[in-house]
Amino acid sequence: MDLFLQFLGNTGFGLADYRNLIMIVVGIFFVFLAISKNYEPLLLLPIGFGVILGNIPFFKGFGIGIYEANSVLHYLYFGVTSGLYPSIVFLGLGAMTDFSFLLANPKLMLLGAAAQMGIFFTYLCALALGFSPQEASSIGIIGGADGPTSIFLTAKLAPHLIGPVAIAAYSYMALIPIIQPPIMKLLTSKKERLIRMPDLRQVSRKELIIFPVVGLILCTFLAPASIPLLGPFFFGNLMKESGVVDRLANTARNAIIDTATIFLGLTVGASTQGDVFLNPKSVGIFLLGAVAFSIATASGLLFAKFMNLFLKEKINPLLGAAGVSAVPGSAREVHLMGQKADPTNFLLMHAMACNASGVIGSAICAGILWSFLMG
Amino acid sequence: MIGFEAIAHHNGWAAAATGACIVFAGLATLSLIISQLHKFIALLDRPPKSKVEVMADDKPQAPPQPQCPLNLDLTVSRFEPLIDELDPEFDLADLYVLAKKYHLPHPHLSIRCLLDSGALQPLGDGIFRFAKPEADQQ
Repeated sequence: MDLFLQFLGNTGFGLADYRNLIMIVVGIFFVFLAISKNYEPLLLLPIGFGVILGNIPFFKGFGIGIYEANSVLHYLYFGVTSGLYPSIVFLGLGAMTDFSFLLANPKLMLLGAAAQMGIFFTYLCALALGFSPQEASSIGIIGGADGPTSIFLTAKLAPHLIGPVAIAAYSYMALIPIIQPPIMKLLTSKKERLIRMPDLRQVSRKELIIFPVVGLILCTFLAPASIPLLGPFFFGNLMKESGVVDRLANTARNAIIDTATIFLGLTVGASTQGDVFLNPKSVGIFLLGAVAFSIATASGLLFAKFMNLFLKEKINPLLGAAGVSAVPGSAREVHLMGQKADPTNFLLMHAMACNASGVIGSAICAGILWSFLMG
Repeated sequence: MIGFEAIAHHNGWAAAATGACIVFAGLATLSLIISQLHKFIALLDRPPKSKVEVMADDKPQAPPQPQCPLNLDLTVSRFEPLIDELDPEFDLADLYVLAKKYHLPHPHLSIRCLLDSGALQPLGDGIFRFAKPEADQQ
């Protein structure tokens, strides 16, 4: 009987903590959202399952948990803490991104820049709430709405916050259909939402090939710390546009990014062990993440309206909301909102241009914040 | 430490303002560059100006006259071996075929020249006879 009770005490049932159970419920909720509601399933499913996996109670010291040296999960987690997975994801992202819409209408790039103001606003808010500058930067970058960038910067500046920051970033990306539309409606009039964008010009292959080279040089000269993200990103794009290495580009945008996404999601989810994750800081990070996301959306919208004061050919201010780099979620929301006002108005391609700009902008922001605070 | 004091303590205002300016400046510059990119490429792609060939102001030259038919001796010397291959009275068409076979220049003109000079004498019904001229008739 003693042996049985001893065994029982070493099982998950005996070791279970209420915090583990809470997190398992959260994980199940993520899996539910991914499968039933189709909210960013590529991200929420591995993360949700990772949350469940990471919160299975176990006997510590056997090299099982993600924070225990020599455990398998710990090795997989190295890709997160070293910033490896985000770089690989960016490689695939570059091989997927079509910059032709941005090249056809370069002024939309400014909306991508404006949407990054949410990062710096939240950085200030986090500082004001007592977070250290490193932690504040990691929280602020959630406003970029770019999961890999958030994870990358957090791994470099505040590794102890990777779990909450990643969960917050991906949660808000998944909740774009809920967060962004009210802000869009609040900050734009019906007349503004009806604005039609001009037809895009044809972009030559040479432009598409030159852009990743020029973009890489300019952005990384400006913020060298963004090389780990923007280097693979523009390289992936060059592979795609050059047309001479289709096999490599295909692998980058399929097998490679999928592999990285699986391990990234799973290990980030598993890093949210209840005893480590559930604390007041995590709650603060979630709240500030919501602020970051909302401010980023609002600053993009408001800047588009500001640009319209000077432009002869007005731009639809809804596009500003796509300046956050949540590809393609925010672009889709902008398109749907535009179609609600006028079903014949197609904003998707223009919104994708803002999205692409947002990806570059948030990576530059991460590089800037890292270079401000490294060392 | 919290509030504005914390922001000021960590130099937050300057960091945020500088960061925002750098991002904006960077993307604005990139935007400016890519807005000019297609013009730059169009400039490079412009086909090279075709060189206008300046025509020489010389007087138009008359097309060179075929030398061979006008030089009766040369023509005769070239056609004599061919005629030797034929019967003494031959069909002009046969001479022409032979001239073509041996790649003699200007067979038409040369035969005409021989006819005009009397080196080929008509016997009627397309039959000719060779009579070697005695002197140059240029």
